[in-house]
Amino acid sequence: MTRNEAEIKLKKIFGFDKFYDEQWETIDMLLRGKKMLLIEKTGYGKSLCFQFSATQFDGITVIFSPLIALMRDQVNSLNEKGIPAKHINSEQTYEENSQVIQDAINGKIKILYIAPERQENQEWIEATRKMNLSMIVIDEAHTISVWGHDFRPAFRRIINLVQLLPKELPVLATTATATKRVQADIEQQISGNLTTIRGNLLRENFNLFVIETKSEDEKLLWLAENINKLPGIGLLYTGTRVNTEIYARWFDFVGINSTDYNAGLDGDTRKEIEKGLMNNKWKCVVSTNALGMGIDKPDIRFIIHTQIPASPIHYYQEIGRAGRDGQKTFIILFYNSKKDDDGVPEDYKLPKAFVDGGRPNIKKYQRVINAVKQEQLGERQLLKKTNMKQTQIRVIKADLIEQGIIKEVKFGWSKKYEYQFNAPELNTAKFDELRNAKLKDLDSMVDYVFTQEPRMKFLCEYLGDTLPTKFENCDNTKYKKRTVNPKKETISKLIEFRETYFPALNVESNNSNIKNGIASSYYGVSNVGAALHRCKYENGGDFPDFLLKLTLKAFRKTFGNQHFDLIVFVPPTSSGELVKTFAEKISYVLKIPVSHKLVKQRETQPQKVFQNGYLKRDNVSGAFNYTEPNEINNKNILLVDDIFDSGATIKEIGKLLTNFGAKTIVPLVIARTVGGDM
Amino acid sequence: MKQEYAYWIALAHLPRMKTARKNELIVRFFEEKQNIVDFFQCEKSDWQNLFSLNEKEIELLNNAKNELANYSFLVEDLLEQGYDIIPITSPDYSPIIKNNLKRAYSPPLIYTKGNKQIMKENSIAIVGSRKAEAISLEFTDNVAKTASKDYKVVVSGFAKGVDKQALDSAIKYKGQSIIVLPQGITTFKSGFKKYYKQIINGDVLVLSTFFPKAPWSVQLAMARNSIIYGLAKEIYVAESSEKGGTWSGVVDGLRKGRNIFVRTPLSSEKNANNLLIQKGAIPVDSQGDKIENYSFQEMKALVVNKPSSTLEDVDSKIIKLLSLGVFSSKEIIKRLKIDWTTRKLTNYLKKNQNIEVLNKKSPMKFTIKRKENIQQSLF
Repeated sequence: MTRNEAEIKLKKIFGFDKFYDEQWETIDMLLRGKKMLLIEKTGYGKSLCFQFSATQFDGITVIFSPLIALMRDQVNSLNEKGIPAKHINSEQTYEENSQVIQDAINGKIKILYIAPERQENQEWIEATRKMNLSMIVIDEAHTISVWGHDFRPAFRRIINLVQLLPKELPVLATTATATKRVQADIEQQISGNLTTIRGNLLRENFNLFVIETKSEDEKLLWLAENINKLPGIGLLYTGTRVNTEIYARWFDFVGINSTDYNAGLDGDTRKEIEKGLMNNKWKCVVSTNALGMGIDKPDIRFIIHTQIPASPIHYYQEIGRAGRDGQKTFIILFYNSKKDDDGVPEDYKLPKAFVDGGRPNIKKYQRVINAVKQEQLGERQLLKKTNMKQTQIRVIKADLIEQGIIKEVKFGWSKKYEYQFNAPELNTAKFDELRNAKLKDLDSMVDYVFTQEPRMKFLCEYLGDTLPTKFENCDNTKYKKRTVNPKKETISKLIEFRETYFPALNVESNNSNIKNGIASSYYGVSNVGAALHRCKYENGGDFPDFLLKLTLKAFRKTFGNQHFDLIVFVPPTSSGELVKTFAEKISYVLKIPVSHKLVKQRETQPQKVFQNGYLKRDNVSGAFNYTEPNEINNKNILLVDDIFDSGATIKEIGKLLTNFGAKTIVPLVIARTVGGDM
Repeated sequence: MKQEYAYWIALAHLPRMKTARKNELIVRFFEEKQNIVDFFQCEKSDWQNLFSLNEKEIELLNNAKNELANYSFLVEDLLEQGYDIIPITSPDYSPIIKNNLKRAYSPPLIYTKGNKQIMKENSIAIVGSRKAEAISLEFTDNVAKTASKDYKVVVSGFAKGVDKQALDSAIKYKGQSIIVLPQGITTFKSGFKKYYKQIINGDVLVLSTFFPKAPWSVQLAMARNSIIYGLAKEIYVAESSEKGGTWSGVVDGLRKGRNIFVRTPLSSEKNANNLLIQKGAIPVDSQGDKIENYSFQEMKALVVNKPSSTLEDVDSKIIKLLSLGVFSSKEIIKRLKIDWTTRKLTNYLKKNQNIEVLNKKSPMKFTIKRKENIQQSLF
């Protein structure tokens, strides 16, 4: 097919007149059965390369993409053009996914989007044997490189697959963010005559700012006063899930129209928020960096980071989601440079902790290896055997599979890990190398904050672009630096907010009458945690009165106008009578009778001993009893405890009281930990 | 190299083409210093000219070619789960199989899990009935014990009775074993669980030559027998009846000139062990040691019912004879005592792809097709 012929088809199918040169070059190669890597900036039109090619093949094109939102958008837009496209992912029901697989087998689909994790699914693997496959696409291909900014273990299998594909099957890998090192890594991994096309990555429409602050509060203050002055709608990225909640509640408090979004939300809610974002429902969506990757919205007008990302490449990738329409777009980064007693800047700590905590210590690896040497174990069994956090087990598991020490083997619908005969020794040098590289990346990100160079130039050079262009789009060139000078009333508002903001306890479930409760504070982000720790573990006596006041305040704000019949408190494991005394005081103030009849019928360990939800659940399962169940029937119960972590204890008691006929059970605690496992 | 796996699966499990023919093609491209990818990439004319493929075969290969991408997915899944895929051209492939089964029967592709090095060790197979008597199981135990002591690998078929005993005994005596599966390798989950420790310690290798997802079947169980014989340097028979897998396996083995050791039965036993000894198997005692002057006095006049010669028997006999020289149909019938007419045999020989017609005039003379350099390469 000549370019002319192709462009006639392009007009007919997609409505465009011409290909860019690099698009046509790519398509031409794909149609001739070649393997390609295409590096072009966001908004360039990478998708068209595989979408157009796919329409020219007899069989099906399979696109591995880590971005569910992108799948949805692209499938809709392809269907509108009359091209049969579908997607398979975790947001669809089992039946829906099965139907798509059937359609793919029956040749009813031209383009199939699929999450890389699906390569582990038996039904999918069976189905791939029956499909007429014409092309494989790897979207966001930087995720296959450990040197990339978002390595995903599931992509390891996709790489293996690509290496096994027949010689004449076209393969396209695409990304908008690859340094030269990542590019080389992708080329080496895919191997076998890969041709790379690299465009330039400059985004001229970005206006880049960095705002240096001396506290977390300064960020909140600046945002309260300025976010509504920014044009259009945008995204605010916070470093943690907890912060999405705090920033969004702060925005509510000062009347900024926003919502919070993070990976902990269920699929429907996430879809709803993504839809709202498309329709400009909010001025701003407060999110972890899970949102926005692949969302096909051309007019995101600003992106603000309250924390520095892990590297300039992360940063380039995340801000790349804005301003695809080429219009002026504001890109703002906060950095709290205040140093702590050890001389470490406050905002350096969190990303540094991610690098340091990225890998569990070597003893834990050995513990997993030893367990798997004894018998084949599933993830749950492994969690129980080793008493580790699920997140840690997953990191270890991925590393051990990567190094060929264990394999993940299917047993019907479940999976087990097997040690391999002749397995190599654990190679820890790799981990150190990676950690050092990540620290270097992080330091480069800090360099971005303090650079005197044009900021876009800094980013492009980091990515491996060298352009002769004059850069004039940042606060180091044409624009004036932004600083924080809040008004007095904004400051007093923030103080008021700090005193009236209480974290929610999300524990509701279908088979229990337990309701979402409230905590007076987060453990660890205020003086509450320190006070609790003194009392519990350093013989500091009863919980101080300020905790009682704060807890009562949280209660009154959230449940003040609800009626409760009875206060029940969680019986202690080791910290003696603290919770009992505390509950009695609450009872005295609120004039709700307190019951002492919730008891332990067997010994339990302190929950903090256990590193994962399974063991925590096992620890408390069936551990409680209520000596006079009749008292509970049809009652509204306030359930009091000191610290809420995974919620396993509260949920277990909720189930027990539900069985005894409690109408509602509402948990009230002093502090909620940040980031309990499961 | 890894890219070749999908191609190997496509060729190895190509339906309606004999193993001998597949191996012939493999030998051809191997000798040309090509790999299987090159072979599949050939133009039709090359297939016709270089590989003498006929239209039917080309159609088969083209069908297989269309499924290559599908097989890639299968291969990825197999490797991910720790299976090894070993083509006949691989240095990991069992040299013992090649030596025993030769080009006609060596499977082009085998699938394994575990320590594949043990395929290269000295090995014995212990075979026998699924419902073997205690005395046979004892014999099996003795032979496995000696083998394990002598660092010989025990090959068995994972059936009940003798097979299972051979495996359990080898494990008991800290020897090494190969389990030859009557099914696809991915359908052996309970076995992988049971022998997990032995597998990861390198003492057990699980092996299958069938399509990885194939379930157990009688046909596969029968076909598996020849692989067991192929993997072993020596074969010990604990107990055989006059039909069934053990019997046909031994008879076939004897015909191919293998050394087969059969346990000499007590007079009270009702099995066909003596019959096998009569057919040329070597008698051994309960420890597996050779008995020099075994007398058949205990055997009443046992009449050996010659099994009527099947086509396959005829085929392998003829090939064996022709590999010795040049013969006419008449001479072949006389030598091999086949009850065929000369015309029938001539027609049959003309169609056989392994046989070359030397003298087109009557009487036609035949010999085996000889390939240059065959021995120095694959087999």
